[in-house]
Order: sequence, then C-alpha cells, then structure tokens
Amino acid sequence: MATASVLNGDGSALPIRVSEFGKSYGKVVAVREASLDVVKGEMYGLIGPDGAGKSTLMKSIAGVLAYDAGSIEVFGQKVDSEESAELIKSRIGLMPQGLGLNLSPDLSIEENIDYFARVRLVPPSELEARKDRFLKMTRLDSFRNRPMKNLSGGMKQKLGLICSLIHLPELIILDEPTTGVDPVSRRDFWAILSELSRAEGMTALISTAYMEEALRFDRVSLMHEGRFLASGTPEELVGLVPGTMVELRCPNQIEALGVLREYYAQVEPRGEWVRLLADTADRDKAKSEAISFLPPDLQPTEVRTWDPDLEDVFIALLRQREQTEGEATSAAGTVETYAALPEEQMERTAIEAMELTRIFGSFTAVDHVTFQVKQGEIFGLLGANGAGKSTCIKMLTGILPPSSGEGQVSGADMRFAGQEIKERIGYVSQAFSLYIDLTVLENIMLYAGIYGVPKDLRPERAEWVLNVAGLSGRGDAKVASLPMGLRQRLSLGCALVHQPSTLFLDEPTSGVDPVGRRQFWDILYRLSRVHNVAILFTTHYMSEAESCDHIVLMFAGRVVADAPPESLEDNIENQVGHLLEFRTSDPPNALGLVTSIFPEALAYGSRIRLISSDPTGDEQRIREILTEHGIQVLSVTPKPISMEEVFVHTVTSLERESEKAKGAA
Amino acid sequence: MNGRRIIAVASKEIREVARDKLFAVLAFVLPSFLMLLLGVCLSMDVENIPIAIVDNDNTPESRDFTSRFSSSRYFNLVSIAYDDRELDPLLKNNVIRAVIIIPAHFGKNINKGRPAPIQTLLDGTYTSRAQITKGYISSIIASMNGNLLAQYISRIKGIPLDRAQIAVRPVSVDSRYLYNPSIKSVLGLAPRLLVLILYMVPPLLTGLGVVREKETGSIFNVYASTLTRGEYLIGKLIPYVGIAFLNAIVLLLIALLVFGAPFKGSMLFFLVSTLAYVVSTCCLGLMISTLMTTQAAAMIFTAIVTQITAVNFSGVMVPVGSLSPGGQKIAHLFPCMFYTRIIEGTFLKGTGTAQLWLNVLILVIFSIVLFTISYLQFHKRTNA
Repeated sequence: MATASVLNGDGSALPIRVSEFGKSYGKVVAVREASLDVVKGEMYGLIGPDGAGKSTLMKSIAGVLAYDAGSIEVFGQKVDSEESAELIKSRIGLMPQGLGLNLSPDLSIEENIDYFARVRLVPPSELEARKDRFLKMTRLDSFRNRPMKNLSGGMKQKLGLICSLIHLPELIILDEPTTGVDPVSRRDFWAILSELSRAEGMTALISTAYMEEALRFDRVSLMHEGRFLASGTPEELVGLVPGTMVELRCPNQIEALGVLREYYAQVEPRGEWVRLLADTADRDKAKSEAISFLPPDLQPTEVRTWDPDLEDVFIALLRQREQTEGEATSAAGTVETYAALPEEQMERTAIEAMELTRIFGSFTAVDHVTFQVKQGEIFGLLGANGAGKSTCIKMLTGILPPSSGEGQVSGADMRFAGQEIKERIGYVSQAFSLYIDLTVLENIMLYAGIYGVPKDLRPERAEWVLNVAGLSGRGDAKVASLPMGLRQRLSLGCALVHQPSTLFLDEPTSGVDPVGRRQFWDILYRLSRVHNVAILFTTHYMSEAESCDHIVLMFAGRVVADAPPESLEDNIENQVGHLLEFRTSDPPNALGLVTSIFPEALAYGSRIRLISSDPTGDEQRIREILTEHGIQVLSVTPKPISMEEVFVHTVTSLERESEKAKGAA
Repeated sequence: MNGRRIIAVASKEIREVARDKLFAVLAFVLPSFLMLLLGVCLSMDVENIPIAIVDNDNTPESRDFTSRFSSSRYFNLVSIAYDDRELDPLLKNNVIRAVIIIPAHFGKNINKGRPAPIQTLLDGTYTSRAQITKGYISSIIASMNGNLLAQYISRIKGIPLDRAQIAVRPVSVDSRYLYNPSIKSVLGLAPRLLVLILYMVPPLLTGLGVVREKETGSIFNVYASTLTRGEYLIGKLIPYVGIAFLNAIVLLLIALLVFGAPFKGSMLFFLVSTLAYVVSTCCLGLMISTLMTTQAAAMIFTAIVTQITAVNFSGVMVPVGSLSPGGQKIAHLFPCMFYTRIIEGTFLKGTGTAQLWLNVLILVIFSIVLFTISYLQFHKRTNA
C-alpha cells in the first residue's frame, strides 16, 4: 500500500515509484541505485546515450523484466514477481524500442490496431470511434489499408503509438519512440502525445537519446552508464551548472582551441566557432574573461553568448562526478602527423555528386542529388532513416552503381578508378566494421593490409592509429571489451590507417554518449582544419549539424536544403520569423488558447513555443488572451532557431507547395 | 482463459503466415512437395538392374541362358559382348551393375553332363543392392538347372516333361503378400510418409512462431499486455495445428490418388488420430520455440531433433522391432512411432479404434506434456 508521502494531488497512489533500483546482466551492471517518482498526468523523460540503462529500467517498470535490487511500485502495486506484474498490465501500455519492430509488417495499419484492441478487449463499438480519432490525429487515416512494412519510419512510430494507446492506459511507457525518425514526424509525434496525455489525463514515461528533446518533458532524469546523473525539470537541470556558453570566431580556430583548453574544461569547435563553457552566469564577465586569455594574434572577430544547453550540462555533470569519484576519463585522441595532400589535389573538388539517382523497383531512394565537398571541409548529410543518405554514400564510394547521374571522388568515378585512387578514401560504415573478437591491434593490422599500407610502414602506422583513437597501450584489448565511444574512435582510426584525403562516415556517432561524440568531433576538426581532409558524414542528430561547415538536408531521397548551417538558420528567421518560448501558470489550458490563434504553436513540456514574424505584436496578443482567461504569463524568451526548425519548416513548406501545385493542376 | 483474446492472437498469426511469402511456401507447398518427391524417389523396389552378358560360347544353350535375363523384369540387359574388357568402363561409369560371363564350351559341357561354371561380377558399392542382385541371378540359374534336370529325367525315364518337372521340384513355394499384395513398396511407403512429413514440417513452423516475436521484440507487446501465458500459447498453436491438419488431408489425397495406396480402416478414426498427432508435433515445435531465442537456432534445433528421430525411431525407414533393445526404448519417447502404427492399421490392415485407441491416447498425453513444458518455460517477466 502507498503511504501518505507518495500520493498524487487527488490522494491516489503515484503511477510510478522506483527506489534504489538495480539490475545486472551477468557481470555487467545495467542500472544501479536508481530512484524515481512520477506524478499523475506528468510527462517524464529518461535521457541518455545507448547503454545508459534506460530500456532496462522501463521494462522493469512495465513488469516485463525481473530486477535484482530495490523496489518498483506502479499505481501503488508492488511489481516484484510475474504474478504481481500481471496486476498492473491492464493499466499500462508499453511501446518497445525499434522502428515498427513491435508491429506486424504484413498486416495493414488497421489490422495492426485491431489486433492490439482485440487483445486488450476494447469493445468494438468504442474501437471504431477511437480508431477514427487516433488515425485522424496522426494523419494516417488515408493509409488504413497499407501494410505496415510500406510505411516510413515516422509513420511506423505513430502507428506504434496508436497501438499502445488503443486501450487508453493510465500509464504509457515509450522506449526511444523518436530515434531515427525525421524531425517533421517527430514534431507530429510529440504534438499527438501531449494532446492525448492532456485529454486523457495520461501519465507518460519516455526515453530518448536526443538531449534536445529534454524540453518536451515536465521532468527528466539524465542517465549515464546505469546511473542517474540528475533529475528535475529541464530548468532545474540547467540551473545545476550555472554558467555561460561563449562562442568566439577566431582567426586560427585550432590554435585558439589549444590556448583556451588550458583555462576551460569544456571547449570544442563548432562550425567556424570555438565554443566554451564559462562557469559564471554573468555574460559580460564570461565574454571578457575568455577574450583576455587569447594572445593578440588570436583575438576573436566576433563573440556571442548563450545559456548552456542540456548537453553542456550533461557533460559538466559527468566531469564533476569524475572529479569527486576519481574515475578515469578515457584519453582523447590526437592527430599530429598526416600524409600531405598533393598540390594538384587541393584545387580539385574532393567529392562531387551530379544528379545522382538510385531507383529500387518502384521506389526512388535517391532522387537527382547534387552537391560538392571541398578539401578540408566537414560536410554533413542530414536526414531521417530512409531519407537516402547511406545510398548516396554507397554510390559515391562506388559500392552501388547509380541508376542515373554520376558521383566523383577526387575527380574520378570510383566504380572505374584504379586501386591508387581508391586508396585515397576512408570509409566508416553505419554498422560497426570492427571484428569484436579480435584485439585492437589485430583490427588495425587487418585494415592496414586491406588498404594496402606497405609492410614496413605498418608497425609505425599502428602506433599512430592507437594515438588517433586515444587507445595507446590498449592494443591487446579485445574490441568486445571496449565501450561504444572508444569502438567508434577505433573504427575511425582504422579508416584512417592509410591516411586518405577523403573520409566517408555513415552515422558514426549514432548512440554514442555526448562526451564520446565531442571527442570524436575533435579528431574530425583536426583532420579537416590542419590536414585538409574532406569529410562527408551522415547523421540523424540535428544538433550535430551545427558543427558542420556545410550541410545538405535530405528528405525522401531529395535535397531540400544545401547551405552552411548558419545561413540556413538565418534564412528561416528572415522568412518565417523568430522563435518565442512562453512559460505560463496553467500550461494545459494555455496551449489550447494559444493554438486557437497560432495553430502551429507546440507544447514543450510545460512551455509553449511558436515561430512569429512579428514578435512584439504576437507576444502582446498572446498575453492579452491569456490574462483574459486568468492565466499568468511567467516569462517570454526568444530562442535561437535550431536545425530542427529549419528542417521542419523547409519540409512542410515544400509539402504545401507541392499540394498547391497539385491543386492548380 | 478468454476466447476473444485467443482468437485475436490466432487470427493475427494466420494472416502473417499467409502473407509472408517464404512462410506461406513452407506451410502450404513444402509438405506436398516432400510427399511427391519422397514417394517417387524413396521406392525401395529393386527392378530393371542394368546388366551385361559376355557370351564366349555363342551356342543355343548360351543364348537360352541369356534370354532368361533379358525377359526378366528384374534385369535390364544393356549389352551382350564377346570380350569382357569392353565392359570395364561401363561398370566404372555405373551404366551396368553386374556382368555375367559365359565361358566357351558352356553348351558342350551341359550336353555332356559336365559341370558348366559361369562367372558373375557384381558392383558391390551398395551392399544390399548387390545382395538382392545376386539373389535374383541365383534364382534364375536355379530355375534353369531345374529345367535341365527335368529334361534329363524325362529323356532317361521316358516320362512326360511336366511330370518330370514336378518330380524335380516336389516342394513349391506359393507366396501371397498380405496387406500389400503386389509388394510394390510405394503402396506401403506413401501412407508412412505422412508420419515423417507431419513430424518435420509443423514443428518447424510452430517453432518459428514464438521465436520470431522474441527476435523482433514484438514479444514485449505480449509481455506488457493482459494476455495470459496460456491464452498466448494456445493462440499461437491453433493456426499451426489448422495448417498441419489441412496438409494432412492433402497428403492423404496424394497417397490415395497419386500413389494409389489402399485405405482399409475407418476414415473418422484416421482423422481424429491425425489431429491428435499434429497437435503433438505442433506442441513439440512450441516447446522448442519457448526454449530458443533466435529463429536460426530454433530452426536448426527442430530440424535436427525431428529428422534424427523420424529416420531412426519412427518405424518408417526401419521397423521398430528390428532396432536394438535400447533403440526400441528410445522410439517410445517420440510421438512418431505411435502414429506409424495408426497409419499401418488404417491404411493397410483395416484395424481401428478397438486395436489402436491406446496409441491415440499416448499422442494426447504427448501433447499435454509438451504443452505443459512450454507453459512452464514461457514467462511474461524475463531475466534478460
């Protein structure tokens, strides 16, 4: 039974109460000492990289996984055996991880929903109405009879959501519902979820690997390697690390980076900027201090400041913990020496796609894609799963022949190029290309052989790769024993063993924790800035876009944007307006009122965001309508436009245009 | 136990099977294909053995001897040669399986009443075939000897040839083969193939059923739902039992119509006991499914278990009675032997419920035990 201290406002037991939870798989500890209370009607987020223990915790709460330590109560019911777990199942819904993996590929949308409804004994009379409502809301109603396997990633996840909600559970548990889903579908997904949880008074526990999604939740817990780093509202978490992000544009990025690292713990390159976390909340002080550390020849031409975001906080919290607990940080890699590029190659375009097209049956995976990558440039190919990124890379590297168009690397078509030219490419594939039962050194030697590194050079190169990957002295360790971040650096090192002038990276940072990701990026920056390597990489993390020199956004096989990230963001700001964030005293009702005048306004946890072309006028109108209904506006903050918004607005405006064109015809 | 939930699981499963091309082929085409293939190829009759004869004599006697082979349905006289060296390559390339060499003076020796030896060369690579061939050759020679003796007696004693024939062979054998009068092996084999096919295919399909959901992760829908363990397992079992039973009827028709097998027992009894058999084999698959975690493992495990036991202990390829005492005990641990008895009874012997009910009961017990193990193995709250 629940005690007085663990009740909701209305006196009922808390939907979730976890204390001192622990679970190991054999010798591997997945989660330790996790405690968590979720209040009725709350949207609670578990945020962390792969292997942080999110799934383990969620499955245990849903009663489908046995655990070793601590206790779990769901709606006041102890979940500690198969029998007791059965008692909560009528009140919960679970959506396991994986794009559409919990659905039946050969059944249609409607058949999938019907199956879940019948298993849950939803009365047929109610089912029809509910199904209509959900399908309309998710804009899936025109695809009722389409087999699930022919849906896009975003549609699959929306269907998965409907299926786990069809019996209107009081608590819904969603395991990484947005991973690999394009930003437009992701936005839809969050809108549907927040509307439903409001309408039905539903409680939701949701995990995500995207730090920027934290703002969608009422409260979040940051998880790393099986532990909670911190819990609270997103504001509270950001408040844990008082500080200012300072961004400086310096004449020599790499040198400035080196200088500033001596004074700050968190410094990294971002596009043409150097970004650092100053531990003072006073922005002017933070700015002047940072400038004062730089010698005259590195003085910045431009400086700007931001509030730290959750990813910075996550890293700062990790750093603090490491300092107090004395845990060893894995050394970052360095690239000191590198093969010099031949003169004539500097002039050439490193990678060029010319009207590249690839058709599989009736499906166009890549549709007339054109772009160029220069030597020394970090070029990001962004898009959701299935947008055509990997197919593009496969055509450029000559693995897959294009249906039409041409792809060139260093001026040569890789399908017909000789071995000598092929050896100028390095490639890290989406799936790990390492042999995990071999040691680190055996893997490096294998790749040295594959890439044709001369025998007498190999021992020296192996040592060099170990340095690049930050694995010096660990050459005899089995790859299977390395954590994700290190493995990823090793596969990068292996792809560099022949010191190529062009590097292809296919989702190299997917699932890697923020620290590992930043160390990975450090290496990429050095390669591009100092050694002029051209780097083409793909990712579905929109936040990584800001680290690129140039990006191409892909949607359904087409290029929908092609420019440096900043100019894309500026474009949107000029075209559609500025991003405003409102905090109010009554978030659920406020959203309803705001969407009545701004249909595109979105809930971000307890906050409301909208893009406004007339910020002062719109702010006034919203304040008026809210005060009219007795809702207080706590704050209105302008926010920078992110790549996420760029993507959403570009795609939705393109969709609108094509609909208009259809209507005109 | 809630019927609606069981139906929900079962109807989803059957749709998935029918729409997944590979699965549909495994479910609806493979059994009939196996039946036709094995029925045609597994025939154990030894007929039309290709042979060659080397006739170094070339007399009426040697030609008479040769004609006894060329007119026999057991032999196919491929070549008559006059030099045995010509036949070596034919033996090596499997064109002929045996060579009979008639030496010079064969006819003269017979007429003079002297021993007339002949030589046979047999391909011994496949022992039982060589022995059967040797048996056929010996009996042809024995009958020729008998005829020669009868002629001799009738000539010496001046009695008619047919009386002499009887005097030479006072005891004659007149065999009648019960249950399979023409002893064409396919008539006995075709019904027995039901035992093998319904033992190998349904567990394979059922075996994939639960594991497939474990592999994709959709099993978590089941774990997190209000479906009980029993409801889920029964819902999973029903479609595969249905498919297997449907296949059983198709196989029955193939046995009767394509291979012309006799059916002498009660059709109703046959159908009831066949249902009991496919339930037990599907439960075997279900049990494997709850024990394994990947589809590959479930498939390999099912294939090995069912094939080894089907070939060795079902009584189809080797009669259980001729197994070693240990082997006979092992045979009782699997359902196939009991169904073989039912098949032999209903198809060939015309026996029914009175003699065979115990076998059906045993199949039901197999089903109950296998399902119970599955139920105890399957948990909605796992450890990893």
